[in-house]
Amino acid sequence: MPLLKINGTTHQLDVEDEMPLLWVLRDELGMTGTKFGCGIGQCGACTVHVNGEAVRSCSLPVFSVQGKEIITIEGLGENHPVQKAWIEEQVPQCGYCISGQIMATSALLSKNLKPSESEIENKISNICRCGNYVRLRKAIRRSAKLIQKQGA
Amino acid sequence: MEKYSLLRRAFLKKSALTCTGLMVGLAYEPKYSLAAKVGNSQDLGIWIRILPDGTTTFIIPSSEMGQGVNTSLSMILADEMEADWQMIKTETAPVNSDYINPESNSGQITAGSSSVKGFWDPLRKAGAAVKLMLRQAAAQRWRIPVEECSARSGYIYRKNSIQKLSYGEIAEAAGKLDIPSDPPLKKSKDYNLIGRSVKRIDIPSKTNGSAQFGIDVRLPEMTYATIRQSPVFGGEVMSYDEAAANKIRGVKKVVLIPNGIAVIADNTWRAKRGMEALNVKFNGGETKGLESKQIKAELIKALDSEGKTSTEAFKVLDIEYEVPYLSQAALEPMNCTANVTENSCEVWVPTQFQEACMDVAKEISELDEEQIKIYTTYIGGGFGRRGETDFVKQSLILSKELGKPVKVTWMREEDIQQGFYRPASMSRFQIGLNKDGFPVSWNNQLASPSILKRFFAPMAWFNVDPLSTEGADEIPYAIEDFNLDYTEVDSGVPVGFWHSVGSSFNAFFIESAIDESAHLAGHDPLLYRMKLLAGKARFQKVLDKVAEKSQWGREIPKGHGLGVSLHKTRGSIAAAAIEVSTGMKGMLKLHKAWIAIDCGKVINPNTIRAQMEGGFTFGLSAALGEQITLKDGMVEQSNFHDYPILRLKGSPEISVEIIESGNEIGGVGEVAVPLAAPTLANAIFSSSGKRIRSLPMSNHGIIIV
Repeated sequence: MPLLKINGTTHQLDVEDEMPLLWVLRDELGMTGTKFGCGIGQCGACTVHVNGEAVRSCSLPVFSVQGKEIITIEGLGENHPVQKAWIEEQVPQCGYCISGQIMATSALLSKNLKPSESEIENKISNICRCGNYVRLRKAIRRSAKLIQKQGA
Repeated sequence: MEKYSLLRRAFLKKSALTCTGLMVGLAYEPKYSLAAKVGNSQDLGIWIRILPDGTTTFIIPSSEMGQGVNTSLSMILADEMEADWQMIKTETAPVNSDYINPESNSGQITAGSSSVKGFWDPLRKAGAAVKLMLRQAAAQRWRIPVEECSARSGYIYRKNSIQKLSYGEIAEAAGKLDIPSDPPLKKSKDYNLIGRSVKRIDIPSKTNGSAQFGIDVRLPEMTYATIRQSPVFGGEVMSYDEAAANKIRGVKKVVLIPNGIAVIADNTWRAKRGMEALNVKFNGGETKGLESKQIKAELIKALDSEGKTSTEAFKVLDIEYEVPYLSQAALEPMNCTANVTENSCEVWVPTQFQEACMDVAKEISELDEEQIKIYTTYIGGGFGRRGETDFVKQSLILSKELGKPVKVTWMREEDIQQGFYRPASMSRFQIGLNKDGFPVSWNNQLASPSILKRFFAPMAWFNVDPLSTEGADEIPYAIEDFNLDYTEVDSGVPVGFWHSVGSSFNAFFIESAIDESAHLAGHDPLLYRMKLLAGKARFQKVLDKVAEKSQWGREIPKGHGLGVSLHKTRGSIAAAAIEVSTGMKGMLKLHKAWIAIDCGKVINPNTIRAQMEGGFTFGLSAALGEQITLKDGMVEQSNFHDYPILRLKGSPEISVEIIESGNEIGGVGEVAVPLAAPTLANAIFSSSGKRIRSLPMSNHGIIIV
């Protein structure tokens, strides 16, 4: 019976230890902001934070995240600087990959507000099938600026 | 295999356009529209609903799949009716013939980059009519002539007075009036939304996880299913271990479906586990034993049957091109939720094609149209794949069988292996150049599977699939002796609509061939095109724009190359240039791309730019690394590890120029896709001298860095 701490709330769950976190979130808890894209950790649509790290929840058995701090897109709120930057730069097209992009970016910037171009490219490896990378690149930079401004 | 002459094809294409007979319900018919089709007293016609608090809902007749249609169509309505943009909400239309796009020849569908083009006139008229009704209602309230009531930003203002009435206050009274048949339309100089970069209505919900895609649907008592279909196309289930599946926690039922099997459980992952335990075996199938090399042999045989044209000219270019099958690979896997009961049927589906969903719902539920409701959710990528209804049918079958709501979710492997693929195609050219280096004869033989055949079998009635030849049949360059031959090839692999359809391969063939001609003649490829476009100002202008922006002709660093291409599709003309550099061991870097589009009229520059950036990137991804190949009758690829999609790393900066020529409105969504492959191949040639005549480029050892 895994005990999960998600967005600050503790959930007692009656699920198999091996069930990936993604399906616990989506089907057991109804938190559908985290998306299923590939099931093998390739596309990043299912990205959430576990203890502040961006991880791909489709390939993460639920027993491995017990007691850890899990944050999903729903837990990021509505006014996170990364979300604001995504709106300002009009990044989403179909929008399906966006939760993952935002979670990956917010984790990256929480550790380093001035990532190099190659760090960005290696850390933000999420697939956007609509091809929004031009705006994604701008939005990551803008997010960093907004976070800095907020902190100042 | 059918051959045809160009003349006959042109005739048939024209008659196909005029005999579709689907003009029903698309003319703006005021009385008809006033009928409360949407079923609310606040409805002012079929497009607009205004609540007493002023909230204004627009009923959007197209599916929102990232192209920004909820916003662009709302802009047209809001501008004409002088609505307060902050009060706008959108809803996707139900299935009803009133919502058929005038541009559509297959019913209620979102396809072919046609939403703005098709709905521009009806929505302007609808917005103008509602504005006039609101003014009339205010005039009645104030007992003054309607001329003394003006509309602005959600209010009717009384002339020479500070009095005003909000749209919400008078909507009910306005709704009782007749819809005017010929409302005055705004002059374009008075537009306050159309032509401006407006932020998309749907974007905030897509940044906080609240946007509802099909896969996010949750209903009381809903069950979760996944399916597996014969990996050999058309094969049947031979055996399975139902008892083993039933042992998996949460598994409720195993159901046979056409060419496959489904496991229904209380959770998607448990359904997947049940499927694994089921150990399904298949046999038979149309493509049994088929290998990619056999498909290529068939294409070559088809080209050989057409023969080459012997060309006498100063110089002759004799070349052959090839492209693979491709998957749309939308990021949201195929899914659909259905709830079929004895006397009702509801379907929640991310679909591009509501009409076809209704047809399949009628077929499976055996109910009448009035008992069926189709709800269109947000779509996590369409690209043509969501015009199909295979996944819709499955959810209906399962819900009917179980008597409960069922959500079917495909695993990614199923999505990649059970496609309706962009057809693998080949093309040959024999191009004769005169002593000045310009083409005097153009002989093009194309071999490609037919997409339309599936819908209009037998194919003999039209001899040619205009979707296969689109982009190759009307090239803009002035060439006296132009010939195109097409042969249909059918290997049994399902083919379908893939972002920009025939243009996705023909633009690569044509724009590479013209580039080869220029180089053979020793001309600059951009100036060469310009010369062949004499008198075609729109084409010249987009080319000129990318030349200017890319600073074509400048000195570029060693190892760098600039490539260019031009293509017309969906009524819009676009050109692109890209700067690349090539290095040792096939290393390729994409530095920057420039695109110019003339789409006639501009509604929302923000979304036009997004579609140019995204479409070009989508095309680059395919050109660089995507391919579907067959081995022993089955698709070899299964997920993103072997069907690689371009990511942030490697994707270029893109700048977009929009030219508003004032011509008829053109499409936007698919327009940049065809440009990517030829622009890139031409740039690689310019940089390395290596001419790439088959895709993807990864087959030539090219690695993106």
